[in-house]
Amino acid sequence: MPRARGSGIIVALLAAASAPLVLMYVFLVIETVGEAPPGQLLPDGFTLENWRFLWEDLPGKANIWAVTLNTFIFASATTVIVLAVSSTAGYALSRINLPFRAYFLAGVLVLHAFPTVTLIIAIFLVLQMIGLYNTLTGVILVKASLELPLGIWIMKGFYDTVPWEIEMAGVQDGASRFTVWRRLILPQVTPGILALGVFSFLAGWSEFILPQVLAPDNKVQVLSVYLAGLIADDYDLNFALFKSIGLFYVIPVVILYLFFQDKLMNIYGGGTKG
Amino acid sequence: MTPGKWLGVLFLMPATLFVVVFFLSPVLLTAVFAFTSMSTATGVGEGGYLITPSTLHRLAERGMDRSTAESLGATTYLVNPETLSRARAAGVAAATLDELGQRHAGKSFDGRRGFERALKSLNNRPRSVRALKQAARHFETSVLNRTFGQREDLLAALAASGVRLSDEDRERLVDASYTGWTWTTDNLRRMFGTADTAQVLANTLIYVFVTLILFNTGFALVLAITTFYLPTTEAAVFRGIWFLPRITPPVLYVLLWKWFAWDTGFLSTVLGWFGVASRNWMLDTAFNAWVFVVLINGFVGASMGMIIFSSAIRAIPEPLFWASEVDGASRWQQVRRIILPQLRWPILFVTSYQTLSLLTSFEYILLATDGGPGSTTEVWSLAAYHTALNNYAGNLQYGYGAALALVLVIIGVVLSLLYLRIFNFDALVARPRIET
Amino acid sequence: MGNPRKFASTLAAAALTASLATGTAPAADMTITVWAGGSNASDVYRVDAIEMAADILAREAEIRGESINVTVDKKLYDGWDDFKQAVTLAAESGNAPHIVVTGHEDIAPWANAGIIRKIEDLIDMDAWPINDIFPNLIEISSYEGAVYGLPQDAESRPFFAWIPHMKAIGYSDAGIAALPERVAGGEYTLYDVLDDAKKMQDQGVVEPGYGFYPRVSNGPDYWQFYQSFGGEMQDAASGKLIYDQGAMTRFYQFFADAVAMGVTRKNHVGTPWDQWYAEVASGKAGLWHGGTWHYARYTGKEGLTGFFDKIQFTLIPAGDANGRPNTITHPLVYLVTNRGTDDDAFIAAELVKIASEPRINTLHAIKSAHLGIAKSQTSIELYSNDRWASEATERLLPSANAMPNNTDFGVYWTAMWKGLESAWTGQKSPEQAAADAAAELRNALGDRIVMR
Repeated sequence: MPRARGSGIIVALLAAASAPLVLMYVFLVIETVGEAPPGQLLPDGFTLENWRFLWEDLPGKANIWAVTLNTFIFASATTVIVLAVSSTAGYALSRINLPFRAYFLAGVLVLHAFPTVTLIIAIFLVLQMIGLYNTLTGVILVKASLELPLGIWIMKGFYDTVPWEIEMAGVQDGASRFTVWRRLILPQVTPGILALGVFSFLAGWSEFILPQVLAPDNKVQVLSVYLAGLIADDYDLNFALFKSIGLFYVIPVVILYLFFQDKLMNIYGGGTKG
Repeated sequence: MTPGKWLGVLFLMPATLFVVVFFLSPVLLTAVFAFTSMSTATGVGEGGYLITPSTLHRLAERGMDRSTAESLGATTYLVNPETLSRARAAGVAAATLDELGQRHAGKSFDGRRGFERALKSLNNRPRSVRALKQAARHFETSVLNRTFGQREDLLAALAASGVRLSDEDRERLVDASYTGWTWTTDNLRRMFGTADTAQVLANTLIYVFVTLILFNTGFALVLAITTFYLPTTEAAVFRGIWFLPRITPPVLYVLLWKWFAWDTGFLSTVLGWFGVASRNWMLDTAFNAWVFVVLINGFVGASMGMIIFSSAIRAIPEPLFWASEVDGASRWQQVRRIILPQLRWPILFVTSYQTLSLLTSFEYILLATDGGPGSTTEVWSLAAYHTALNNYAGNLQYGYGAALALVLVIIGVVLSLLYLRIFNFDALVARPRIET
Repeated sequence: MGNPRKFASTLAAAALTASLATGTAPAADMTITVWAGGSNASDVYRVDAIEMAADILAREAEIRGESINVTVDKKLYDGWDDFKQAVTLAAESGNAPHIVVTGHEDIAPWANAGIIRKIEDLIDMDAWPINDIFPNLIEISSYEGAVYGLPQDAESRPFFAWIPHMKAIGYSDAGIAALPERVAGGEYTLYDVLDDAKKMQDQGVVEPGYGFYPRVSNGPDYWQFYQSFGGEMQDAASGKLIYDQGAMTRFYQFFADAVAMGVTRKNHVGTPWDQWYAEVASGKAGLWHGGTWHYARYTGKEGLTGFFDKIQFTLIPAGDANGRPNTITHPLVYLVTNRGTDDDAFIAAELVKIASEPRINTLHAIKSAHLGIAKSQTSIELYSNDRWASEATERLLPSANAMPNNTDFGVYWTAMWKGLESAWTGQKSPEQAAADAAAELRNALGDRIVMR
């Protein structure tokens, strides 16, 4: 099909619409190492001054590496929980004939598009009752739970596509359902697990409101809260510094995105918040 | 049950546990809170009992005997055998108590300072602030400004205070001094009674529908269709660019917009070359703030529609396009006659799904305008957040905030159930084929 | 869920017996956490003072032959919202910091909730330096007649005028020097402010919208204008809040008039703070109002030199014959929370007491350009040699009052601010805005607020 006809105009129009985004991301990189006098956009010098947060703590702020480690722990632990729980629950919902299965599925679907953040006061109370308020563990559990409905839904979708013949064959060979799942089915849904894993990691890495409200302590701070705290301080408004920290923050995301682009598109296309 | 079913139950357990603890119980709690007067001042837990001058003033207004109110309103320290032995039992130094008994037996002191001064003037005075405070405590007989954990404690203290109270007055006093929350429907009355609600509702509708129509569905369609007609590389580049906002952490993404709109940022600098005075374009006027709120959310929201519509277009059989090319149809006619009809369901899906997402998300607005300038961009979910978790004077209104959140919860559930019907839920729950 | 209030009833009980017998605090090594809200780099002494106090306390204990090693865990919050949210939720879960530095208006709800302890239960109010603190500040740290906290700093919110611009519209040096007195005497009113602002704009010394350049966000400052038009916030006798609809209307009308005259921008609220500071400190604005601590910002970060030649400061002028010239002081207070044992509380209170000693408090007062809390600070050279601190103390503090400590004040404040915004931006007429606020308050507070 001849698709190239007239594409010049389309490219121009799309480029115009995308210009703000491109500008923002290009200057995100430029400003972190460029020295530009006020009122001038393009830099005329090179500096690493804005990256000093990597080797010295900003006044009154936590150590960036400790914060990064926290963020990493937060995102990975969330991912592990989401994967473990979704891959089992997804299988049960896809393949095992349980009573109330339809209700459970409907429940997952309803929750999956739910106003989660508006529940935050009540979530706080639950955390407090089980003694996990102001801990990273508490935020991890909450974040994982809020991601679960989507995770279960996606894993169920992947299990649905595995041919029944594989399972039938395993069962006829006398293996238990658990062995069949573990040995035969799970390898079939590896792409799903990978995609969901990357997705959950990104979601955890980006999360802001939950750690901000549920773990306000310095010691459990994550990068989003750290950066937001800096921006909120009108005493020291330094966009170049903010952007350097922002770039540092977003680099892992971009790397993951470049490697798992297609898989991610699948999940985002499957529908999530936003 | 078969082993297979047991496995299913086992497999569903963790998910159920997580969802019940961190999802369903918060939903229920929100519904409960919505009917309480809960705030910082009342606390979330069980309240205590605290009689203050205001409590007494209020009761006197409502008919309590004024002289009773006055005697309750005095701070009294009393030295008598009873208080002395109470202090002795609690371990206050015997020498101190003996001397106190000798010098001040039967005396009553108005106010803490007077009594503490008397204690400090003893030869066997307590030799630390701590000892002083702990000694003084046992001689206080009044109930004013003391917190009691339990009703019985307050009643006991009232009995010990020596103030005569009628049963009716005592009941009223105990009720009025309770500091905890109570059940109430005031939150709903307040929500429907204030003009703010209408304003916030209007804001929410503007936010949801303008963003939805312009970006989450509208521009997403434009992106999907235009990239369909582009060569693969260009298409991938544009899809990649429009995907960036979704994977960028919100804090950074909003920071980029702030830089774009700030008084020393990109727009101001560039317009400055043309003599336009620099200003904060995002918060300059209510209109500007809305433009940015819609753009910030829309640029994120467009990607989901873009992906779904793109894959739906790719699923259209190619011969349909060839045939129309042969007929000499223009691009526009192709879009109208082939693509759009095929996208009916995806468009409906994206629209319904994103309505709910927009309705309940406030993270980007919180970070960008925080509902300002004024409260022109305060949407419902943000108002719930602000009410429950932000108050300049330190008194967070959990109960009213929960009532606001409850409205969203109800809308969320109703819409979700509606969508399940529309999108043919039954097809999704085909029965499993192995019954072992 | 835990009941933080139960501690009160068990307070008198046996737990104390052991330590009472010896009269010593047994804890050897402990960590005291202290959080301060609304504090940036120049406010570090709010928490550093506690650390200094811990050092002194350890030395005192050593001399008595005891060992008290207190590690101070400090945290500064830049803003108020996140801070109050964090303290409230932490307290609800029993993890509040031991010491909080916050605005005095938090005392009412937090005392009611049992989050904080009465400081008068923990320290000897007759002892130095407590007996040296200004009595009105102690009163502001009290709720329902009981002293809950100790003032951490005092400040006041003056009116500012850019002297060169005043001269440009015809003021003489003598006229500018006499301005504070004319304001204090009620001779120069808020409407004179608008007239002067208009003149400045007409003569082109400031740009349109910069004649009168108020605070850009909600704050205690706006209650000053309510008072300028005769408003009162609380009834002293009954402790109930007062809503004076006439005063509120005139106060709203004033800002609507400022916009109508073009001397204040309609979209002024929401201007970023950094922009605002840079503008007022460089003479882009004619008349404005701020806080005593702005001195540090203007002369520090914004690089203003010759402050006293360029800026005149006065009380907030009266609005009309009903009102009075005034200024609101919004002291921050040290509060000891119910976190931990009585041991912790006594140590925390002791630290707060030491941190309130004039010499230590002066470090904060001068570094952050706040005002002192005690009489003797005026004889400490760091304080008395500072022109700003001494002049501002003299000119402003005698007329300063504070917002009431009342649990419902937050609701009232929110309603006042919403009404002001809608009148300011022209969404409603001042009458309508004041009437709507009254309706909302009646709706929300019932008979807990008196309508006038």
